[in-house]
Amino acid sequence: MRLAWLIALLGLSAVAGGAAFIRSGLYDISATDQHLPPVYWAIEMAMKYSVERRGRRVQVPPLGAPEQVARGLALYRVHCAQCHGAPGVAPEPFALGMTPLPAPMVQTGREWPAEQIFWVVKHGIKMTGMPAWEFRLSEADLWAVVAAVQRLPSYSPEEYRRLTSGRVERADTPAESYQPDVDRGKAALRQYACVGCHEIPGITGPAARVGPPLAGIASRQTLGGVLPNSPENMTLWIRTPQKVAPLTAMPGLGVTERDARDIAAYLATLK
Amino acid sequence: MILAACSLALAGCSPQLPSALGGDPENGRLLLRQFGCGSCHEIPEVAAARGKVGPPLAGIARRVYLGGVLPNTPENMAAFIRAPHRADPRTAMPDLGVTEAHARDMVAYLYTLE
Repeated sequence: MRLAWLIALLGLSAVAGGAAFIRSGLYDISATDQHLPPVYWAIEMAMKYSVERRGRRVQVPPLGAPEQVARGLALYRVHCAQCHGAPGVAPEPFALGMTPLPAPMVQTGREWPAEQIFWVVKHGIKMTGMPAWEFRLSEADLWAVVAAVQRLPSYSPEEYRRLTSGRVERADTPAESYQPDVDRGKAALRQYACVGCHEIPGITGPAARVGPPLAGIASRQTLGGVLPNSPENMTLWIRTPQKVAPLTAMPGLGVTERDARDIAAYLATLK
Repeated sequence: MILAACSLALAGCSPQLPSALGGDPENGRLLLRQFGCGSCHEIPEVAAARGKVGPPLAGIARRVYLGGVLPNTPENMAAFIRAPHRADPRTAMPDLGVTEAHARDMVAYLYTLE
């Protein structure tokens, strides 16, 4: 009994100590202050095991067809090389200032299995600069990037330059007669950074005051001050706000038809 | 010395900051009721203001844009209240014939909604 009290007391003082440490501002959040080695090790291990566990559920399709690698390399040059570099190509200056440093893919491509690379590219990594690409690249393109990353270490700088001289067009998800997915819409609201400007119930984010809060948006009658609220108009507004209201500060974010319909479905639940 | 005096004066005054545009916030609150703003907007402390046509005005003092188009300053807010279509020709917000003096009081109240 006494032991239980002691443990409770210790736990409580740990929480209080943690809160005091946070409130004091002593923790150095700057990107120039490097992690202590044990902290770095702990974070690295947490990331590694988290990816390993989730990667086990990924089904790897056949990889490495020449067209797939070519497509992946073109995507890699446009979306990845800025942070991760490439054979003979340094990351951009902003990426050199990041903490944690983006990993060089010429090494990752040798050491990581395909399912883990895929999982990280698709879902991103919290509290790092690694974004989730799920809502920006199709499933086929995600795998093309994985195929390219696996090949990357085998190219000389000269080969990489030659292979990535082409241009890349964005592959858009086709709008089939599609049943909107509320949960996917909720994820998409974060992934298109909507929560950076709007407060949205159910989505954790900063105290955003750029646009109006979206609580109750389902029962609001006007969108962007100009458009009657309906599921079709919501999709239209999300995809092309500046076509609907040329003066609006709300930017178009390249939301696909499918993603916009999912987002509208989630917003329709906010009565 | 002067600095110290100023900061003392400021500290003394802080509960009674000058209102936005020098308007009368209490009168502004009543005017928002009188002009029927509440039939389109939810507005804290304004009677029967539960409209859902436009966005809620709780926290409007700290919102970045007005009507989605104008940077939020007291001057712009008064201009938007008086002539919304001048800011955005497509806006659904109507011109209610608010005078400059009335707009100033409304802004004074709305700027208390942090």
